[in-house]
Amino acid sequence: MSAPGKKVFELFVSKIPWTLGTKEVKEYFGQFGHVRKCLLPFDKGTGFHKGFCWIGYTTEEGLHNALHKDPHVVEGSKLQVQQNMMPFTWRRMDKEAEES
Amino acid sequence: MRSSGALLPVTWDGCPFATLCRLNMAALLRSARALNLSASPLLQIKRTSNHRQTISRFYSRTVGGRGIGVCSRQIISGSFNPAMLVWEHAVVARDEPSLGVRNKQSHQFDWALAKLDSSVRRTGRVTKSLLQRIFHDICRTGYPSGNQALLLLRSCGSLLPELPLAERTEFAHHIWGKLLELGAAYDVSHYNALLKVYLQNEFKFSPTEFLAKMEAANVQPNRVTYQRLIAAYCQVGDIEGASKVLGFMKSKDLPITEAVFNSLVTGHSRAGDMESAVNILSVMRGTGIDPGPDTYLALLVAYAEKGDMDKIKETLNQVENTDISLMDRDLMQVVFTLTVAGHQQHVPEVLEHLRHDGGFVPDAMNLCLSLITQGHESTAFMLLKTFPSVQADSQNSNGPDVGNFFLRHCVNTNKSPEELVGFCKGLMDSNLHAAPMQFTLYCALEAKKMAPAIEVMKTMKEEGLPIRPHYFWPLLAQHKRDQNTAGTLEVLKAMQELSTEPDIDTYCNYVLRTFPSVDSARTALADAGIAVDTIAFVSAEVRAEAAEGNLARLFAFLSSPSLPAIDIGVFRGNLIAGFKRQTSTENMAYFLYHLFDGMSETEVQAKEEVLREYLQQLHKKGICIPVNIYRGIRNILDSHHVPELIKVPLLCNFLLFCSHLKCSKTIKCVCVFSQNLPRALELKAEHEDKMSPSCYALLINLCCRHDNPEEALNLKRELARMDSEATLDVNKYMSLLRVLSKHNRLEEAVDILKEMKEKDVVVKDTAVVLLFHTFSAVALRGDVAALRRLQDTTFALGLAKPTSNLCSPMVTMYLEKGDFAGALEAVMECETQYHQLPRIHDVLCGIVKKGDTELLQKAMDFVSQQRGEMTVLYDLFFAFLQTGRYREARKIIETPGLRAKPGRLQWYAEKCIGSNQMEALETMVDLTAKLFECDRDEMYHYLLCLCKDTNDWSKAEAVWTKMQEENVIPRERTLRLLADIFKTNNQEVPFEVPEVKQPSSVTAFSSVAYAVLYTSRSSAGLRGLVMALCKKRKVQEAYNVLKEAERLGKALVPACYDALIKALLSSGSMEDAMAVKDIAANHITGFQLSDMAHNLQIITQVKQERPQGCLKTMLQMDQVPSQLALTRLVQGLGNHGDIKGIQEVASLIKSLSPSLNMSSMLFVNNMALAHIKNGDLERALEDLESLYTQTADHSQQSIAFVFRKVVEAHNDEAFDKLRTMAERLCHQFASYKPATDLFLQCLDTGRVEEARQLLQRCAAVAEQKTALVSYMAKASQSPGQIAKIKNLLELIPDFAEKELVYAYMMKCHGKWAGQVGLAAKALYRRMQAEGLQMNELSLKRLAQLYKKAGEPVPFEEPPETFKFYADKLKASTLPSPEDD
Repeated sequence: MSAPGKKVFELFVSKIPWTLGTKEVKEYFGQFGHVRKCLLPFDKGTGFHKGFCWIGYTTEEGLHNALHKDPHVVEGSKLQVQQNMMPFTWRRMDKEAEES
Repeated sequence: MRSSGALLPVTWDGCPFATLCRLNMAALLRSARALNLSASPLLQIKRTSNHRQTISRFYSRTVGGRGIGVCSRQIISGSFNPAMLVWEHAVVARDEPSLGVRNKQSHQFDWALAKLDSSVRRTGRVTKSLLQRIFHDICRTGYPSGNQALLLLRSCGSLLPELPLAERTEFAHHIWGKLLELGAAYDVSHYNALLKVYLQNEFKFSPTEFLAKMEAANVQPNRVTYQRLIAAYCQVGDIEGASKVLGFMKSKDLPITEAVFNSLVTGHSRAGDMESAVNILSVMRGTGIDPGPDTYLALLVAYAEKGDMDKIKETLNQVENTDISLMDRDLMQVVFTLTVAGHQQHVPEVLEHLRHDGGFVPDAMNLCLSLITQGHESTAFMLLKTFPSVQADSQNSNGPDVGNFFLRHCVNTNKSPEELVGFCKGLMDSNLHAAPMQFTLYCALEAKKMAPAIEVMKTMKEEGLPIRPHYFWPLLAQHKRDQNTAGTLEVLKAMQELSTEPDIDTYCNYVLRTFPSVDSARTALADAGIAVDTIAFVSAEVRAEAAEGNLARLFAFLSSPSLPAIDIGVFRGNLIAGFKRQTSTENMAYFLYHLFDGMSETEVQAKEEVLREYLQQLHKKGICIPVNIYRGIRNILDSHHVPELIKVPLLCNFLLFCSHLKCSKTIKCVCVFSQNLPRALELKAEHEDKMSPSCYALLINLCCRHDNPEEALNLKRELARMDSEATLDVNKYMSLLRVLSKHNRLEEAVDILKEMKEKDVVVKDTAVVLLFHTFSAVALRGDVAALRRLQDTTFALGLAKPTSNLCSPMVTMYLEKGDFAGALEAVMECETQYHQLPRIHDVLCGIVKKGDTELLQKAMDFVSQQRGEMTVLYDLFFAFLQTGRYREARKIIETPGLRAKPGRLQWYAEKCIGSNQMEALETMVDLTAKLFECDRDEMYHYLLCLCKDTNDWSKAEAVWTKMQEENVIPRERTLRLLADIFKTNNQEVPFEVPEVKQPSSVTAFSSVAYAVLYTSRSSAGLRGLVMALCKKRKVQEAYNVLKEAERLGKALVPACYDALIKALLSSGSMEDAMAVKDIAANHITGFQLSDMAHNLQIITQVKQERPQGCLKTMLQMDQVPSQLALTRLVQGLGNHGDIKGIQEVASLIKSLSPSLNMSSMLFVNNMALAHIKNGDLERALEDLESLYTQTADHSQQSIAFVFRKVVEAHNDEAFDKLRTMAERLCHQFASYKPATDLFLQCLDTGRVEEARQLLQRCAAVAEQKTALVSYMAKASQSPGQIAKIKNLLELIPDFAEKELVYAYMMKCHGKWAGQVGLAAKALYRRMQAEGLQMNELSLKRLAQLYKKAGEPVPFEEPPETFKFYADKLKASTLPSPEDD
């Protein structure tokens, strides 16, 4: 249950190649607007990330810019980008990230 | 199948056949034994004299292979030598698995089969890990079935291209031995499968010894066995050996098939006699067998071994002139042989002949993998370059990535980094792969291979590709898991070399956690020359401290002037997490409780949906609410009148529909059943007024039956007049329709159809059949127009769907007349109108028989256009089969790209079974052998179904042999069917029948059964008896039975020994248990205790004061004991003051299984006790004290165990010191837990005075209410503890609410069975005097006490049950004294 009134502008990005790290993903999506949060969960057991991430923009404009670009190709790989429809997941992953 | 007689004139090396012809098996063995075939004595048969069975040991060729033997610790115990196999034979009976196991097994087999099958179908191979997983699963279930064993064994050959040949055989042997140990029964099919694996793996073995083993196991070899033995001889060029087996086959009148000749081609060539090899082809033709593709392949391979390219080309040309076609897969075999024989230079020429047809890629991949495995990666790369490059499509802008499998396997087989880089560059240059370096790196990282990973990264760096910190995480993660600090430092150094600076996540998530503390990490890194004053490292340090909640250290850190500028955001989250560490589900539950508590009734009701959602979400996340809090929540929700929220949807009200059956008027229509139409009509006339619609319906039907359409229509009209709404049921309409169309009253029939439509009569099931018969009858009359009218009306009205069946009468009409052109026209018309191809098979068969190619072409074109090529091919295939044109059928089924259509194959098979066409069915099964994705077991099952119908057991036996030849794994139902055929014909079943048995539950054995079993003295009987007795806890008897078995020289199965050992250990008979273990080890090589027995052994040993002994056994065996066994062990060691022992266990646990959730306090407490035991009290105190002074969170750390042990041992010195320590901790460190524990311990052991003193010195103990209340709750569980509660109450009068204390006291009284009535009464009076209300539960308890004492209850006894009041109480107060 996210706090009412506070809007979130989030992307859910999947099919991220293993070679990209949090920094690279954040940099890439930074071109569309200021990225408030970039969460690319890694599997601490294997050391590889899970291939998807959440990008949170501070403004709706950033979100729209990102959604209007197609395709998103980073280092030869096409990313799948969509608006995040599950804000609840964000919180959970957020917590995980903090705890780990 | 040809008679072997024709072979006699053939002479190869002048083998004296005549002398062999009358040889029996033993004679063959004797003569064969003289052959010195194998270089080393592979098999040794050792006969042990003390019991009758033969145990021979089988040493596989390579000993101590690495990967293969390791499946799981649970399965392969430490001392089991994977290279050593047990061949256990003959009389050993196995456990009868229970029904449950059987069912599970059969289910599991289907799963495993599907899994392996799909892997083989998709890729033509099986990965080692998949096979191992299935093997592991089968082992874990126990009782492997025969077909599971077969499935596993079969997969150990060429299906494992990623494994070296020797390793595959080793795996097969491992499986063989392990399954035997678990009780698998091997029959001839298993031996044949093993032979096939040997052949595929080019494993050198002695055929004579193999036969000897089969003989010892009392398994009869069959045709397939001999064929494969011939192949084995031929593989090493031993024509003489092959001839001997061949002669033997002939003497037994076994048919000599193409496979034998193919082997001989190889045999002669390997013996260096190419001329004879080539000559075999004409010999074959001489015996009436045409050389097949495999024959030519054998020849090609022979030339390939010699590197004779000219002959290869010549042979290929020769093949082209026959009607045989070699598949790409065959040519790949040639490529493989050329390469392995060192003639790589010819490979490109052969590659040119590849057709790249369907299935090329998987086959070529397997060839590549095999070549790489055997060290010919350069040839493999040559092949890889011929792979079709997938065009990068616009949809997916990812670049091409051909060769991933190649790179991965190169990494896995440890090819040198230089080679890897070379391949990567090659792939990039030929545009096959866009990012091979990255992929290779990925594989190396995935396989945790540091050296190649680093090398590839170096090259990537040279190429200007970025190297990112997270590339090193997989390596670091591995070291973190192993707590390998050296490895971690090595990776960090490599990062430095590659000038990739680790970021904060690298340090925080992977590096720091490898080290025991942040400080030690800092020192180690600095020592290794890695910069530690970077922002990344310092930030990670701060973050780690914050996460740990070490606020003091964090503060020190942050206030240090040398600290670089760090963003608070870096560690904010961790700091919060550090604060919240104690968050548990309990808090969540309290949160919920307060959430509901804080809401008003209307609020809850208004938000019911949201709350429901929320609760469901919580549930999904696996959050469990402690039961007492749940009750609280329930209470609140109940009071808010929203009980739905808490109820599980159990509201299924089973509404019982009371059927008020209105008895309909008895009408005399019963007479209708007499089928007497005139009489029925008479009756109708008599009782006109009493006629009901149902009566009319019955009458109409009767009229139809009597073929009287006139009367039927009359009645129908009458009915309509009486009740215009009246509707007949569909069958009556059908009768009407039938009779009307029969009498050619077409218009009336059509009217009936229209009426049916109007009245919504549904035509289905049997009605459709009736409709079909109606149409057929019209067709039989040859009335095309009528038939068309009826069909069209029916379909146009939508009364019935135009199925193939309903459309068929039209076609039948032409077929009956022999007018195939007309029939085809009719079919085509149906197809265009209704998309049905009725009786196309019969039409095609007719055309084929007639030989009308033009018409056939027309039919094919039409079907192909309408339904696609696949349908035509199958239609033609079946038509050819049906008309006996098998050669044409073969051509059709060998069409490249054709795949199995199970539904179509089933259709034809069932047709054959139905019409008893053995030859056609057999041919279909034969011809589909190589059909892509064809379920072979299914096909053979059809054959056996027909055998069953015709009760032909010899045919069934031939089918079974054929299955072995083809390496088909039968499913259980197939085996059962086969066994059934044998049994009905009084034949011996040559394999284990996987019957679904009723649970032969050992517990249900009657004493009579015991007697019978015992007197029978069979191994099976004895085994059953031992198991049954163990289960009934009659351990000594069971042991006696075992001794008897031993006397009789009968060995039992491992599971049986294990059960007895467990039973003996449970009853404390350590010596006997070990004696049984020795007996078992005598019979079964590598016998090991099961995990459970092992745990029991540890506990028993500890009980017998011999913890050191069991530590030793534990260290020796590679087994992880259970938590309980470990706890007992550590306690035992602590008792004995064995510090070293405890440390060993601790480190063992850490290394063996970090997942074993052992409390760290177990080790701490017992270490302290061990120190005390050894007189080193200071050390013990030091350790314990540091525990409370150094870490922040003490809630979980209880040293009560130490207190108790010291008190129990009356060690006053230690007690005093411990007390002083507890007091010091209390005063100086605000650590109240030790003092509270000590206080309660004193109380519990009756040292009230000491407790009082302690309380005086540490007043804070009185504040630890949670601990005190839980002590009271615990004490009230057992009777007679009332004094302790009283003492507690006396010492700390206000530690809990009076009501609560009294309630617990009453509970305690209630538990006491003796004379406490007085005390309870006194308690009651006391409460009344203090003006306290006794709760209902306590009142109920008191009333119970009165009743027990036979006294009248002086107050009104609460009427409900204990449970009712307990629940009520739980719901109302939290926490409360309750029954569990």
